[in-house]
Amino acid sequence: MNKELEHSFVELLEKHQNIIHKVCRLYTNNYDAHNDLFQEITIQLWKAYPKFRGDAKFSTWMYRVGLNTAITLYRKSKRSINTQQFDGVEFKMKAEDYDDTEEQQLKTLYNALHQLNDIDKALVFLYLEDKDYTEISETMGISEVNARVKMNRIKTKLKTILNP
Amino acid sequence: MDELELLKKDWNKEDNKYPKLTYNEIYKMILKRSSSIVKWIFIISLLEFIFWTFISLLLKDTESMKRFDQFNSDAVFIPLMAIGYVILAYFFYCFFKNYKTISATDNAKVLMENILKTRKTVKQYVAFNLIYLVISTIIILIFEFNKDSIFIEQVNQATANGQALKFYVLFIITVLILLVVAIGVLLLFYWAVYGLLLKRLNRNYKELQKLDE
Repeated sequence: MNKELEHSFVELLEKHQNIIHKVCRLYTNNYDAHNDLFQEITIQLWKAYPKFRGDAKFSTWMYRVGLNTAITLYRKSKRSINTQQFDGVEFKMKAEDYDDTEEQQLKTLYNALHQLNDIDKALVFLYLEDKDYTEISETMGISEVNARVKMNRIKTKLKTILNP
Repeated sequence: MDELELLKKDWNKEDNKYPKLTYNEIYKMILKRSSSIVKWIFIISLLEFIFWTFISLLLKDTESMKRFDQFNSDAVFIPLMAIGYVILAYFFYCFFKNYKTISATDNAKVLMENILKTRKTVKQYVAFNLIYLVISTIIILIFEFNKDSIFIEQVNQATANGQALKFYVLFIITVLILLVVAIGVLLLFYWAVYGLLLKRLNRNYKELQKLDE
């Protein structure tokens, strides 16, 4: 039974691993920290998996556990010190997909994202993942109106960073 | 174009920019141990329970405590000890109940609240122990002053030398210093350990609260 559970979990996670990578991308700024957080999220997901019921989508459930781990449960390990830094766009991108200004803008945007606090990052993450305000408010435990207000403030903040 | 829309476009565009972990790599991860703050709070809390139980057992077996048996002190100390154990059991129950409710699948705010609640239970237990320590010390002192023959003899000797006041003052100051040092060290320890552990959680919890004001 346990083996079956393990197998189904790992298979699902392998398929949806990008969600975790995206969380890690937002909350860490070097390769080791990325891996470290990825591992902790995976462990937390696995711990919660026996209680996972099919009534929620696996990915939706992952968002919740992933963000909770990043903003609350995760304790930075010592391993994440002394490693080379990368900015948010270090992952290989195809050059032809970008014109110069857009690429530059994106770089600045990703840098700006990294400067946001943990909670703001979570809101932006859910927004980027195309979640509606109902889901954002449910994931964070704040009201929908406040989630909307906050999101608008973040947008303004990013706009000012881009066009000072 | 809206800045975030530009970002969103890029965010959802490329899947191949992330590392792709294999089935085996993920499988290995689930066998590893968590190093989450909940686990640390759990371990430290258990150590606290053990520490205080150990201290009370240790005190019970000391020579001076054994001497207390001669003072007919049972009427005071047995209820005091019973209260101590009942309260320990109560805190233990609350702690486990709180711990069980912590779930990574709750929403962010509820999760943080549940963790802080667990922490608060242990904090109250520590506060209880510190108060208990002070009260026990006072009661022990009262017995010492009134019933302990060795102590009374020392007092008489001091009185004979005309130094009764000095003796009392020195004695009380020594006890006070010991208590203050013991409590100070413990508080410093809690402040450092929990301060470091919960710094991030507290900061994020405040931020969430601010959002909902």
